[in-house]
Amino acid sequence: MRLPTGTRTAVAAALISVLTLGGCSVLDDSNRTSPAGRAQGADPSQSADSDVPYDVVPLLKPAKKYYGAAVEGAPTSMKGVDAYTGMTGKQPNLIEYYAAWGDGFDASGVRNAWKKGAMTLMSWEPFDSTLADIAAGKSDAYLKKYATAVRKLNLPVVIDFADEFNGNWEKWGTKYVTPKEYVAAWRHIHDAFIDAGATNVIWAWTPNIINPVKSVRLKPYYPGDAYVDWVGLVGYWTLGQDNAFNSVFGPTIDEIRAFTKRPMLLAETAAMPGERRRADIRNLFAGVEADDNMLGFIWFNHKKRADWRLEASPLALKEFKRLAADDRFGFDVRKP
Amino acid sequence: MTSRHDHHTPQPYDPYAEDDAGGWFNSNGWVQPQQQDQYQQQDQYQQHGYGYDGRHPYQGQQQTGQPFASGIPEQPQTGYDDQPTYALRTVTYQQVPEDEPGYHIPESPDAGWDDAPSKRRAWVSRGVLAVVLLIQAVLSLRLSNTAFQDEALYLAAGHNIIDHWASGTPLHSGYESYFSGSPMLYPVVAAVVDGYFGLSGARLLSLVCMLGATALLYSFSRRMFNERVALVAAALFAVTQPTIVLGWFATYDAPAIFLLALSAWIVVRTNKAPVIVVLLAAPVMVLAVAVKYASALYVPTLIVLAALTAWHHKGWRCVLRALLLGLGTAALVGVGLMYTNVLAGVKSTTTNRAHGTDTAMALAEKSVEWGGLMFAAAVAGAVAYTLRGRMNESPRSHGLAGPGWRWRALTGLVLAGTALLAPAYQIHLSTSVSLYKHLDFGLLFAAPMAGVGVIRLVGKHFRYPQLGILLWVTALCLGVSQSEWRFGLWPDSTPLVKSIEPYMKPKGKYLAATYEVPVYYLRAKTEQDQWTSTYGIGYSDKNGKIHHGQEGYRLAIQAGYFDLVVLDGIATPDIDKYIEQQVTKNGNYRLVGKIPYRLSGGGTGSYQIWAKTS
Repeated sequence: MRLPTGTRTAVAAALISVLTLGGCSVLDDSNRTSPAGRAQGADPSQSADSDVPYDVVPLLKPAKKYYGAAVEGAPTSMKGVDAYTGMTGKQPNLIEYYAAWGDGFDASGVRNAWKKGAMTLMSWEPFDSTLADIAAGKSDAYLKKYATAVRKLNLPVVIDFADEFNGNWEKWGTKYVTPKEYVAAWRHIHDAFIDAGATNVIWAWTPNIINPVKSVRLKPYYPGDAYVDWVGLVGYWTLGQDNAFNSVFGPTIDEIRAFTKRPMLLAETAAMPGERRRADIRNLFAGVEADDNMLGFIWFNHKKRADWRLEASPLALKEFKRLAADDRFGFDVRKP
Repeated sequence: MTSRHDHHTPQPYDPYAEDDAGGWFNSNGWVQPQQQDQYQQQDQYQQHGYGYDGRHPYQGQQQTGQPFASGIPEQPQTGYDDQPTYALRTVTYQQVPEDEPGYHIPESPDAGWDDAPSKRRAWVSRGVLAVVLLIQAVLSLRLSNTAFQDEALYLAAGHNIIDHWASGTPLHSGYESYFSGSPMLYPVVAAVVDGYFGLSGARLLSLVCMLGATALLYSFSRRMFNERVALVAAALFAVTQPTIVLGWFATYDAPAIFLLALSAWIVVRTNKAPVIVVLLAAPVMVLAVAVKYASALYVPTLIVLAALTAWHHKGWRCVLRALLLGLGTAALVGVGLMYTNVLAGVKSTTTNRAHGTDTAMALAEKSVEWGGLMFAAAVAGAVAYTLRGRMNESPRSHGLAGPGWRWRALTGLVLAGTALLAPAYQIHLSTSVSLYKHLDFGLLFAAPMAGVGVIRLVGKHFRYPQLGILLWVTALCLGVSQSEWRFGLWPDSTPLVKSIEPYMKPKGKYLAATYEVPVYYLRAKTEQDQWTSTYGIGYSDKNGKIHHGQEGYRLAIQAGYFDLVVLDGIATPDIDKYIEQQVTKNGNYRLVGKIPYRLSGGGTGSYQIWAKTS
């Protein structure tokens, strides 16, 4: 069929004008009129909602306790976590791992954990950069890239930078770093993340318990409530020391409570294997349960300097399993 | 030989050939004027029935290109005459009466077209108008963004008023005091539409109003001038930035412009009717003013127009018409003011509007950028119209010279001059707030003159159509880019609204820079009085002492009064910065989201959402 030239021209002109003038945005704001709430448990980084920043506030002080673990290979591989779950009868919801300053952000690891209902706590250790350099902005390019990757992932992550700073055994410890440098570096890192819009980071300021280093005051190292969400504590039950919860953590908690009310987490803990281990574990659970401001604990399930692994003492493991069955421990971080 | 058509070239048998030529050239060279005989001969043929009735008598001979020098050809007398010609024998000779000429010249019209109204012309014009309206609709519909602050405010207010009427929920006080139109009219209607169809529905209502305004502009321009002027006026009006934007913008402006266009249409349409009929326009004008108070600025134009359009039919009685319209409008306004308390709102938003800091130069620049092209066309039109009134090529058209020059000058002045009212008033107030919207009110009246201007530019018989096309395409390009820019001047609030939705609690207290937008989108979960703006605070401390300004914000944040603080850094950047310092320092608030946005002006920024965590 042949259309008259005039008609064809008119139709073509109308089509072209509608296409060019209209673009592809005609009437497309219908989906904006009733913003629906975020689907529960969905992975925001996988959805079109990634421009809505993940709100970590419900995770800052959840109703139940964090039941965490540091396991070999996790969260890059979740095999160790699965074994730990099988062993203790409960899925950990906080996975601690260690990363060196200069490493790339392990987004797939965070995603692996998230798929199992667990959040990651990254212990960020500046082996090759001094804190003064970091504070002076010498690693800003790295920092910016890292923060952008964290924002892009849009899942909650816990970052604990340069922990055990009050000890003298780390490269960022009291031997090499002044409290001022430490605070400046912390604030600088925090602000870089805020600049990148990475509000999905929970900042855990984590000293070692003061028992071995009583002379070091913690307050000068504290960056301020505006920069810290959690106070993490690193402390172990060791043989030859009193095993009451208060003996291990009490003095540190008391000192910290004098300058901040931020909730606390036992960011790294375990008990040495031996006769007393069952009792130590009982004290751990009881101590965490007793304190409303204590968010939970992360069991350091590694063999490092001592065999902290639960499987090392079957009797203690049995006790651990019994106590972990308590409903107050563990929850799905995707539905806090 | 020149190519001009009017050059007289002598033709064979040309009755107007110069007498002294005495002959002419043809392919045989110079032909002596022996045709005298031929004419006579021809006459003879015709008298004997050779006439070609209704045809040009010379036609047959011109085709031969050779005069009948040898008369009727003779039948060849040969022995091979197997194909004889019977033509001459079969022609029947008819006797023609002596008093009738052998041929006559048909009457040729003095113009190729008729300027009297015709159905065909009406439908062709309406077809073109439909295309113009289609373009306008497409230009408006392609815009997209979440609700602007004003849209959100009016729609939320409308919902609040409807809820108040329906179920007695408390009415937020004070709408009258800061709305620039009656809260009971547009906001309510728009909220009803919004309730059923969402923001797109409310914006569609504006589109219908703006399309209606363009159609009415066409109609009254056609009545004042003609179809060409009306179509150009509509086509120019339809593609200016304010028209495109207001067609997809749920505020008072679109209905107000529609009502003003309707008033103008009634005034023009009833120019021949009895004087009293003009009062039909009064309630429409008053409604326009009630919908948006600033419409009152254009009432004088309509009143003068009432006189001008009736001058030819009523003479000096047209003044009576204008007077009647003025009095009718004043009476209705008086009644309206008596029964409502809008006067305070009128004062604060329109007559005593807060003076800004924009310079006259900056405002004039903006006005030129957004409406200058059309205004220039209107001025050119007014001048051209004053100089020459004739509006079409037809020599038979009624009143060739058009109305008297005084009338023409006055009409041009009133229509084109109306476009200056809004910029002049805004320059007086030194504010650019809503300038682009107010420009459109004036452009509605200047449009017919702009139509005249463009038609004069194109010239008689469409001599320079390219100039008209150039002008319109320029207007279109400006309108397309400016409207796109305008719609990107506020951030997309979708992620913000999603982020703060979980914090909406019945007793929550919130501080936000542009709280109207979340209040509108989250109206099912929050009420306006839970929100404090960054424009001002009256914080009452434990002792009942009221604190204002920075001190008020500082103390309220210190006391943890707000559950959520949302800053965008656009409307009140200084106080936003101050509040940010306070919440950061406080420690009880945590930044839960920082949502970057990019504005069309090249500006960037971010929403910051702070939640109270302890």
